[in-house]
Amino acid sequence: MSFLAPAFFLGLGAIAIPILIHLIQRERKSVVLFPSLMFLQRIPYQSVRRRRIRHWFLLAMRVAAIALIVLAFARPFLKQGELAAAAIAGAREVVILLDQSASMGYGDHWQRARDAAHKVVAGLGADDRATLVLFGRNAEENMRATSDRARLDAAINAAKVNSDGTRFGPALKLAQSILGQSSLKRREAVLISDFQKIGWGSAEDAHFPEGTTLTTASVASETGNVAVPSVTFARTAFAGQERVAVTAGISNKGDQPAVSVPAVLSVDGHEIETKPVTIAPHASTPVTFAAFTVGEANVRGTVRAGTDLLPADNTFHFVVSPSAPVAVAIVENGDRSEASLYLSKALAIGTTPSFQPEVIPASRLTPAVFDKHSVVIFNDTVIPASMGGGALKRFVDRGGGVLVVTGERSSWLTEDADLLPGKLGPPVDRVSGRSATLGYRDYSHNVFDVFQAPRSGDFTSAHIFRYRSFVATPPPEGRVLARYDDGAVALAERRTGAGRVMVWTSTLDDSWTDLAKKPIYLPLVHQLVRYLARYEQTPSWLTVGQVVDLASIAAQIRGDRIVVTPSGQRTTQRANAPGLLELTEQGVYEVRTAGSTTGRPLAIAVNIDPAEADLAPVDPAELVAAVTGRATGETADAAAPEPLSPEDSEKRQALWWYLLFAGVLLLAAETVISNHLSRKEKFL
Amino acid sequence: MAGARFVDPSILARIGNLDLLARTVVDGFINGLHRAPYFGASIDFAEHRGYVAGDDIRRVDWRLFARTDRFYVKQYEADTNTNFSVLLDVSKSMGFKSRDVSKLEYASYLAACLAYLAHRQRDRVGIITFDSEVVAHVPPSAKHFNVLLHTLDRAKAERPGQLAGPVSKLAEHFRRRSVLVLISDFYDDPDVILEAIKPLRFLGNELIVFHVLDPAEIDFGYDDASSFEDLESGEQLPVVPESFGNEYRKLIADHSNALATKFSEHRIDYTLINTSKPLDHALFSYLSSRERLMRVR
Repeated sequence: MSFLAPAFFLGLGAIAIPILIHLIQRERKSVVLFPSLMFLQRIPYQSVRRRRIRHWFLLAMRVAAIALIVLAFARPFLKQGELAAAAIAGAREVVILLDQSASMGYGDHWQRARDAAHKVVAGLGADDRATLVLFGRNAEENMRATSDRARLDAAINAAKVNSDGTRFGPALKLAQSILGQSSLKRREAVLISDFQKIGWGSAEDAHFPEGTTLTTASVASETGNVAVPSVTFARTAFAGQERVAVTAGISNKGDQPAVSVPAVLSVDGHEIETKPVTIAPHASTPVTFAAFTVGEANVRGTVRAGTDLLPADNTFHFVVSPSAPVAVAIVENGDRSEASLYLSKALAIGTTPSFQPEVIPASRLTPAVFDKHSVVIFNDTVIPASMGGGALKRFVDRGGGVLVVTGERSSWLTEDADLLPGKLGPPVDRVSGRSATLGYRDYSHNVFDVFQAPRSGDFTSAHIFRYRSFVATPPPEGRVLARYDDGAVALAERRTGAGRVMVWTSTLDDSWTDLAKKPIYLPLVHQLVRYLARYEQTPSWLTVGQVVDLASIAAQIRGDRIVVTPSGQRTTQRANAPGLLELTEQGVYEVRTAGSTTGRPLAIAVNIDPAEADLAPVDPAELVAAVTGRATGETADAAAPEPLSPEDSEKRQALWWYLLFAGVLLLAAETVISNHLSRKEKFL
Repeated sequence: MAGARFVDPSILARIGNLDLLARTVVDGFINGLHRAPYFGASIDFAEHRGYVAGDDIRRVDWRLFARTDRFYVKQYEADTNTNFSVLLDVSKSMGFKSRDVSKLEYASYLAACLAYLAHRQRDRVGIITFDSEVVAHVPPSAKHFNVLLHTLDRAKAERPGQLAGPVSKLAEHFRRRSVLVLISDFYDDPDVILEAIKPLRFLGNELIVFHVLDPAEIDFGYDDASSFEDLESGEQLPVVPESFGNEYRKLIADHSNALATKFSEHRIDYTLINTSKPLDHALFSYLSSRERLMRVR
C-alpha cells in the first residue's frame, strides 16, 4: 500500500477532535456532587459498564470515520505485484479473431469456437476493451473496441459459418493494426480457429509489436473428410450435339480409407449416375460418370460424394454450356503452298476455346468473310483493292480482330492506313551475324500475361532472321507489345472502335523465323487469336469470394438484371449500374432479365475453396512464433504489464473513493445511532 | 400551630443568629405544644430508700427519721441537672445540599434548638464536633450555651468523616449520665455504626440519634445522566438516574430501616430527618426521649 499524498496524514490529528469533544462533553455534563457513592456503587456494575462500551463504540465510529476520510485524501493505491496485480495492472486491448470459414462448419467446431470466444469475453475486466474480428479469406471488424460484454456476446452469437476460405494473414494484420493503434498498454490477440495449414503461408507479413500477446484457441480435431474438390469435362460431338463426360476427383483427407462412398452426378436436378468409390487415406480417386448431352446453355450439374461432418465440401456444383468455337479466317496470298500450315495446325489444336480456322486466298476475299469470322489473319498477303470501301474498318469497329502477319508480300490499303498501329517499312535482314530475338515483351498485356510467370514460355529460343521495319504510332493510339533485341517493333496493337488490330512484323511460318518450330509458338498464336477474338472463357464454376462482372459475362441480358443467390435472396442490378457481384454463398446463382420468367437463366456455379477440405492443422505455436517472433512461453513473460506510474496506479484503482464513501457512511450511521441512543437513554 | 411557620428550615436559614433562631423555634414550638399530652413531666418525689454509707446526709429525710428512727434517703423522679451533649458530624458529606439548607446547617439548627431547650431546663449543655477526628469539644456546662452556639456557627464540613474512630474515643469522656444527641448522615455499614456508638450508652447515657438526609439523598430526584462525585473521596461514577433511581431508593430505605431496627434493639432512639421538613419532628423526638429519661433511674 502506498500513498500519493501522504501529507494528508497530518489530518489524523483530527482524530483528537471527537476524543476532546467526548472529554469536554463529559466535563460539561454537570458532575453531580453527591454525599456518598456508597449505595450507587452497590448497584450492579454491569449496567454501567455496558453503557460505557456503547459510548466507546460511538467514539470508535467517529475516530474510524475521520481516519477513513484522511486515508482517502492521502490517495492510497496498491503497487503492482500486490493484491491481484494482474487485475489492476491496466486495461487490456483484446482482439478476438474468430474463424468463420467453411471448414469451421465441421462437426462441433463452430460451437466450440464460439464457446472459446464467450470465455474470452467473460474474462474481460471492467476497463478492458475487446474487438471482435470475424475472418475467412478476409477479415472484418464485427464489433469495434468495446467494453460492453453483452454486445460482444450478442455479436458472437449472431456470427455464422460462411462458405469462405481460410487465411490467417489478413486477420492477423488487422489485429496488428488495431493493437498498434491502441493506447492501452496491455494488448492481446486471441485467435480462435481450426488452424488449417492451408490458411497459413510463411509469406504472411504479420508481425505483432513488442509486448503484444497472441493466444490461440484451437478447435481442430483428428478427423476424416471426403471432398469433391474439382471436376473436368470431356466434350465429344455425337449426332450433331455435344456430349460432356464429367470426371470428378474425390479426395479423402482422413487417416482411414473411405470405402464404397457413393458418388452421384446430377444434372438439372436429375440424378444421372451413382458410382461407389473407395479412396485410400490422404489420396484422391477420379470418378468418370456417363456422358450427357448438352443441348443448351447453362446446364447445371452437381457431384456429391458421401456424407461426413463437413457437408459443404461433399458437393460440387458446375454449369456447362455447349462450346462456341472461334471462327478464324486466314487470308494468304495464294502464290505458295501451305503458307498457312503452321497457323492452321496450331489453331486446330485449341480446345478452350476451339478454333475453326479457314484458309482463304486473298483473291477470294469478300466483305462477307468478315461477317462469318471473328478474327481475320492477313498472313503475308496483299490486301486486294476489292476490300476497299471501308469494309475492313467496319469489321474492326464492330469488334472484329485483325492480325497482320507481315512478310515479303505484305501490303496495306492506303485508305485503311489508320487502322494499323504504325507504318510498315522495308524488310530488315538479320541473317548476317546473330539472328534477332524477342528482347522485350509487355507482360502487362493480355497476350503476354500468361507468360509472365517463370518457366512459362521461352521466347529467347526463337530466332528471327528477317522482319519488316515498323514505325509504331505513338501512344495512346498505338502500343508496342514486343520488340526485338535491337529495339525494332515485333508486335504492335491499335484499338479501333470495339475491335483490335495487331501487326506481327515477321512471319508466323518458317520462312523468316523458326518461331513456328518452338514450343512457345502454339500458346502465342492461341493468345493472339484469343485476344483478338475478345474471347473470355466462361468458367464452369467459381469459388466463394470471387467477384464477377455481370456486365461482361451476362452481356446478353439487356436491361435490369435480377440476381438470385443460392439461399434465395433476390437483388436487382440496374442496366447502367456496374455489374460487380461478390459470390459469398456456395451453390448456383441465377441471373435473369428483370420481368422475364421464361427461358433458362444464366447460371453461375459457386463452390467453396477446395483447400477448405484439407483440415490438416498447423501447430498454433508455430504460428504464434512467426507472428510474435517469440515462442509461446516467452510471450507470456513478455506480456507482463509494464510498471505503471504511481499516479496511473492510483487513478486506475481509485481506492480513495471507496474510503471516502465508507467514512461518510460511518458518520451517517454514527449520527443515527447516537441520536437514537440519545433519545432513548438521554446518555451519550 | 401558630409557630410552625417559624420552623421551616428555608426560613430559618435566613436567620443568621443561632441564639435567636433557637429561641424563635423553641419558644414558638413550646407555646404551640402547651396542650400536648406529652408535656407535664416534673421533678417530683419518687420514693425513699435506706441510707447507705456514702450517701449525702443532706438527702436524709429527717422527718421520717423522727418517726421511724431509721435513715431514709429521698429519691426524686429525675435529676434536673442532666448533661446534654450534642455529637455533631461535620464530615464533608454533611455539607451537601440540594436546596437552600445543607445537612450541616440543618443539623446546626437542630442542635441549637435542642441545646436551647436543655439550657432552659437548666441542663448543662456541651457539644462535640467530629469528622474523622474530634474537631471541637465543648464540655457540658450550664454556662456553655453560648460557646455551643459559637461552635455550631464555626462548624464547617471540610474533611472526610469516619464515625467509629472519634465516637469510640468520646465514649470515655462521658463519666456522668448524659443525654447524648448524635447527628450524622451515617454513611457507613449499620453494623459498623452500631458497634461504634454502643459505648456511648454506657454509664446510663441516653442516646438520641438523628439521621439527617437531604431530600435528594432520599428521593434521588435526578433526571439527566451524569457523573456523580463522592464529596468525600472525590471518586466519580457515571450514573443513569432512570436506571439507578429505583435501586438507589431501595438501598437507602433498607439502610435507614436497618439502622432503625438495630438502634431499637439497643434502646437507642433513632429519627430520620429530612432537611426539607420542619424542625418540629426532630424536637418532638427529643422531648419524648427526654420524658422517658426522667422516668428511668
